[in-house]
Amino acid sequence: MRRFTREELRQYDGREGRPSYVACNGRVYDVSDSFLWRDGVHQVTHRAGTDLTEALRIAPHGEELLERFPVVGVIVDSA
Amino acid sequence: MARVAREMVERAGINVDELVELLVKNAAAELTTYYYYTILRVNLIGLEGEGLKQIAEAARIEDRNHFEALVPRIYELGGKLPDDMKAFHDMSACPPANLPADPTDVKAMLKVLVEAERCAVRGYTHICNLTAGKDHRTYQLAAAILNEEIEHESWFSEFLGEGPSGHFMREGGVTSPFVSRYLP
Repeated sequence: MRRFTREELRQYDGREGRPSYVACNGRVYDVSDSFLWRDGVHQVTHRAGTDLTEALRIAPHGEELLERFPVVGVIVDSA
Repeated sequence: MARVAREMVERAGINVDELVELLVKNAAAELTTYYYYTILRVNLIGLEGEGLKQIAEAARIEDRNHFEALVPRIYELGGKLPDDMKAFHDMSACPPANLPADPTDVKAMLKVLVEAERCAVRGYTHICNLTAGKDHRTYQLAAAILNEEIEHESWFSEFLGEGPSGHFMREGGVTSPFVSRYLP
């Protein structure tokens, strides 16, 4: 399983054809194929390439919706 | 634009440009859902399908009403609808409620319907969370729409065997019990 630093994760922002990856509770999900993550943006306020663990605490859904997408790695605090 | 009304929302700490974008995307979801539900409704036929047709029709009309109710708030806040209808369709906050591959499969139809409603329930909950205590007018509008989306979800969920909806379908041609006071 690939290990991502937060800096590396930021490169997967869904812009200009790049994949959209988001992190939650240490796991990195590939949401590139999601209609709801087109161009790396979700519900206007959330961006791909970021850790959404805190945002999901107040979101209208939990990690179960992210679990529909492939896990491509885990977050590490440093390379 | 309602200049002072927008200013009040900004002063409350809301990013109004982001809020307007959310409202436009949800308005797009409502109008496109109205369109896709039209196709679903006409395909709800036969012994099983006919039983769902009227309830799908109520949800279809109410989604159109949600579009109508959202538009004034978008313009009050300084936003606008896109000039291009295709661009509007493509920015929808929810995926298209496409007819299933087998349109005689009523359970597949119900899954499309309930997923569309669940997307809407999450979307308006998000808007309510963003605006609660800050933008009273948008909050009240989003909460009114949310009430109806929750009812739609529970109607279709009941037909999927997930448990009773807890209420009756609309009667007497009356629609949008929560949103009608926001209609132009």
